[in-house]
Amino acid sequence: MSQSKQQVYRLNTGGRIDRSRTLSFTFNGQRYQGHPGDTLASALLANGVDIVNRSFKYSRPRGIVAAGAEEPNAIVQLGSSEAAQVPNVRATQQALYDGLAASSTNGWPNVQRDLMGLFGKLGGQFMPPGFYYKTFMAPASMWLTYEKYIRKAAGLGRSPMEADPDSYDHFNQHCDVLVVGAGAAGLAAALAAARSGARVIVADEQEEMGGSLLASRETLEGKPADQWVARVLDELASCENVTLLPRTTANGYHDHNFVTLHERRTEHLSDTAPVENGHRQVRARLHRVRAGQVILCTGAHERPLVYAGNDVPGNLLAGAVSTYIRRYGVAPGRKLVLSTSNDYGYRAALDWKESGCEVVAIVDAREAPKGDWVDAARAQGIKIITGSAVIEAKGSNRVTAARVAKIDIEAFKVSGPVQELACDTIASSGGYSPVIHLASHTGARPNWRDDIIGFVPGLVKGVQACGGANGCYALGDVLAEGVEAGIKAAAAMGHAVQTVTLPSAERLQQGPAVALFQVPHEKPTLRGPKQFVDLQNDVTAAGIELATREGFESIEHIKRYTAMGFGTDQGKLGNINGMAIAARCLGRSIPEVGTTVFRPNYTPVTFGAIVGRHCRDLFDPERYTALHQWHVERGAEFEDVGQWKRPWYYPEKVNGKTETMHEAVARECLAVREKVGILDASTLGKIDIQGPDAREFLGRVYTNKWEKLAVGKCRYGLMCKDDGMVTDDGVTSCLAENHFLMTTTTGGAAAILEWLELWHQTEWPELDVYFSSVTDHWATMTITGPEARKLLAEISDIDLDRDSFKFMDWRSGKVAGVPARVFRISFTGELTFEINVQANYAMHVWQTLFKHGEKYGLTPYGTETMHVLRAEKGFIIVGQETDGSVTPEDLGMQWCVGYDKPYSWIGKRALTRSDTKRENRKQLVGLRPKDPKVILEEGAQIVLDPKHAIPMPMVGHVTSSYYSPILDSGFALAVVKGGHQKLGETVYLPMADGQTHEAEIVSTIFYDPKGERQHV
Amino acid sequence: MSNAATFDTRTDTAIPVESPLAYSYRRSGAPRGSGYRLKLRERAMQGHLILRGGAIVLDEAVREVLGISLPGKPQALVLDASGERSIQWLSPDEWLVIVPGGEEFPLETQLRERLGDAHFAISDVSGGQTVLELSGEAARELLMKTVIYDVHPSNFPVGKGVTTVFAKATTILRRPSEERWELVVRRSFADYCYRWLLDAGSEYGVNVEQ
Repeated sequence: MSQSKQQVYRLNTGGRIDRSRTLSFTFNGQRYQGHPGDTLASALLANGVDIVNRSFKYSRPRGIVAAGAEEPNAIVQLGSSEAAQVPNVRATQQALYDGLAASSTNGWPNVQRDLMGLFGKLGGQFMPPGFYYKTFMAPASMWLTYEKYIRKAAGLGRSPMEADPDSYDHFNQHCDVLVVGAGAAGLAAALAAARSGARVIVADEQEEMGGSLLASRETLEGKPADQWVARVLDELASCENVTLLPRTTANGYHDHNFVTLHERRTEHLSDTAPVENGHRQVRARLHRVRAGQVILCTGAHERPLVYAGNDVPGNLLAGAVSTYIRRYGVAPGRKLVLSTSNDYGYRAALDWKESGCEVVAIVDAREAPKGDWVDAARAQGIKIITGSAVIEAKGSNRVTAARVAKIDIEAFKVSGPVQELACDTIASSGGYSPVIHLASHTGARPNWRDDIIGFVPGLVKGVQACGGANGCYALGDVLAEGVEAGIKAAAAMGHAVQTVTLPSAERLQQGPAVALFQVPHEKPTLRGPKQFVDLQNDVTAAGIELATREGFESIEHIKRYTAMGFGTDQGKLGNINGMAIAARCLGRSIPEVGTTVFRPNYTPVTFGAIVGRHCRDLFDPERYTALHQWHVERGAEFEDVGQWKRPWYYPEKVNGKTETMHEAVARECLAVREKVGILDASTLGKIDIQGPDAREFLGRVYTNKWEKLAVGKCRYGLMCKDDGMVTDDGVTSCLAENHFLMTTTTGGAAAILEWLELWHQTEWPELDVYFSSVTDHWATMTITGPEARKLLAEISDIDLDRDSFKFMDWRSGKVAGVPARVFRISFTGELTFEINVQANYAMHVWQTLFKHGEKYGLTPYGTETMHVLRAEKGFIIVGQETDGSVTPEDLGMQWCVGYDKPYSWIGKRALTRSDTKRENRKQLVGLRPKDPKVILEEGAQIVLDPKHAIPMPMVGHVTSSYYSPILDSGFALAVVKGGHQKLGETVYLPMADGQTHEAEIVSTIFYDPKGERQHV
Repeated sequence: MSNAATFDTRTDTAIPVESPLAYSYRRSGAPRGSGYRLKLRERAMQGHLILRGGAIVLDEAVREVLGISLPGKPQALVLDASGERSIQWLSPDEWLVIVPGGEEFPLETQLRERLGDAHFAISDVSGGQTVLELSGEAARELLMKTVIYDVHPSNFPVGKGVTTVFAKATTILRRPSEERWELVVRRSFADYCYRWLLDAGSEYGVNVEQ
């Protein structure tokens, strides 16, 4: 790094900076100094840094233009370490801190000596609007290649390659009145609303609240305006009902007054959040505000004039010049030419002159400007050239002169001789554009007002705009509008407002502005030097004119064709000028052309703030059973089932080597078939159903019959949606005449409860029945296998005799000393007891089972083994064998359909449709691969003739496929068109690798076809 | 009689129990110490019953058996004088009753006797949920990070209870007293909720009372 440079453009006095302290920072590796109170932009200007970036498309040198969110050029990459990298920071919005390290986002190898510039200057003429569309879209397959280089060349910063050390969070906020912007209007509105007792949130994007009043030459109560700001802020801060959020940008305005605010809490202190009391502070916070009323006091952006060479460093907005002088104590040059279409611009010249620098001339587009500021300029002896404009800025790395000429706005031409004025700074003002972005997010179209030459926001219910955002610029009127809006908003929320006395503002005489957007040049727009409209996206007036000539008439199309207002810029500086130019070219008025739609976010939001704490192990809830710790300690691998973590399989160490999944599952399967296994089935949905009509209700939501299920008995049930397609299944048990316990699939639990409530509340409210979820109340442990009875008998007082406690019965009693309900139902085909105990006792019961189970070879098994075992038995899994297009009949489960039930049931009518009766529907079958070593791929397509020309007619697909340890063979379940009639036929499965597997259609039941084992 | 099966899931023998947070304490610890602005305590092993039915008949039965009236107003929470027993409105025909552990079965039995043939349902969910009690000066800020519901005192006075979104899960949030908030969370989500609260509360300092 080279030695520190002097702050050559720093004024000796004035501004809101602390000259007693010096901060050191680097920009593009060069060390500089600034002061507390500076932004990175003001410090760069103070140090005479003209070039802050290279432009997007043409790679032209660019300097700082604005002083706020509308800055198009000074977009920097921030961060002193890799992990702290932040792209796309506006230097005008970044507070300076000691040690800040920033660099330009564009420009390679650096902004001063830019290799891309060569390409830009050459390529520039070959990059007209629509360039990407015209050039790089064909062949389509190459776009990915082009894109990589185009993005690198264009570039708008880069993301960090290391994990972000910071944390971010969300805050849910609720208020009566949300005030966006704490300038004159916002503070007045907030004060009025606050005094009513309403809950008020004030969000302001800047380092300090006060907006333009912090740098205003106007007085309030005869004193500098910032004194009034300080008083109001003191009062607001002392109100319990007011939340002040500085450094907080309202970025998105969503439906129903839901507004997202992005608060930067530590970015003014360092590039990663400081540690306080041992905790790293939250770097940024997203406030999710639900507001009763919203008051938009977002102010206005000054419009630059569009003239040739208006992008050369040294061209600034007039208002920005004033802000740098009055707020930051920086005069960003020595010799100023001001080009303006209105009185407001004059303030820049007055401020410039008062700071001791030279004003070469004010060039006013109006023939006879008059007003208090015009008079003040005349009184200062400043030369005013009327009826004229700066038509071109000369210079390449910094403005060297302004070319000034008389212009005829109506005829759009230069109407007099050109004179060249030597200067290093050109300030321009084309009037103000109200900041209508947030209001546009709501979908409300803005309205053009000729009197203010700008769009004012269209408004939805519960929102007001006031001050600059509403096209009101005179300070006294702004304050009055603010107070009125505050009173109105508070009143709408039921809060009576006490009077608010407005501070007296100066009444200034002002002359009318003239509507000037693009300044004519001696040469036609398409031939003349570039006149930039959107500096960030390098959109020129010629580009817009060309787009209209090529037939683009809609402003939305022109925007997309030229890229105007794209990306992080969101059309803050250039959009209105662009529309005006399009309107001129199309011979229409600006309101006829209309605006493009501004979208969230107003300024870029870091991903961290959007994510908040929903990341890493808090990304999504993980649901655990009461036995989770045991599974973890046993070394289980887990499978996600919905949000549940279910043991998938339990790999063991065999001879020092950990089993593969295949090995573990084979061992677990054989343990169940030959000895006894145990499954944590707690995740199954359980719904407690009570009421005299419970049985009737079950008959209507299940396809099968329930009227004869006796107390103490269980039954498998199948549920269809009203389209006749299977949606859930499970076992429901009759606990008492009016009391049933329904089980659902793990994933379906919540949805099925809602489904039951929906039908009860909307269709059958006359049925007396209630549903409550008891899923989490019970822990369910399934012991299954030939030794299950012997094991359970050791620790239970229930009579387990096969004739008194039959298959599909349930009994209650004690298991391991704990009250339990035990269900003899089976998903494996083996002798099975499902033990249900209150979840708080689960660990004790589970461990007791293992204490007694060792001698029987008790083996824990997971969901994978469960899947294999049930598939061997042809038991379906809803969501695997079914996909929302499968009927009970497709599954061959006619035995589970009560066609003759007296009352209709959900899905019955749909099952009589011709389509559901069709013979060649895809039907569930078993598949036995001809080669038993083959495990068919789940999802593999099935064809009847593998020699058929491609595309082959596909007749079905594999739904489940596993290796069966007990059969020592691969096997699968599949759906095949007309499959139930195709038993014994051979089908083919052509694979992506060119192999074709052969398989025979067989019964879905591969093991124990008579079902004897579960009855023992 | 309602002809429903009742079942006392508790046992009086000395059998070890594990609260829904048992695993969480082992996994994430239970921070203690001074200088905290938040206190978190699991009020485990209480009796939880879901009551469903018409407000008028349930109110009569509840008043007789528990000595407190059924909250008829939406989002209301009623506690008995000791503060140990509470009834919370959940939906127009649904209430949550929380009583000291072990009281739930006798209570259910008494209510069923008292309610006779009326149409109602009582479901024991004691094993399925737990109560996380939150207090301390930063409690409200922590809740603002966590639930979308407006917890400002003007909108959430003592005696209110709502079902709302907890980060990416749901919770029943209630305010039994000026200083205390209670989160009723489901057992399977308890670990997520606990980790979320520890994380969100770390900037204020959390003290977990076991």
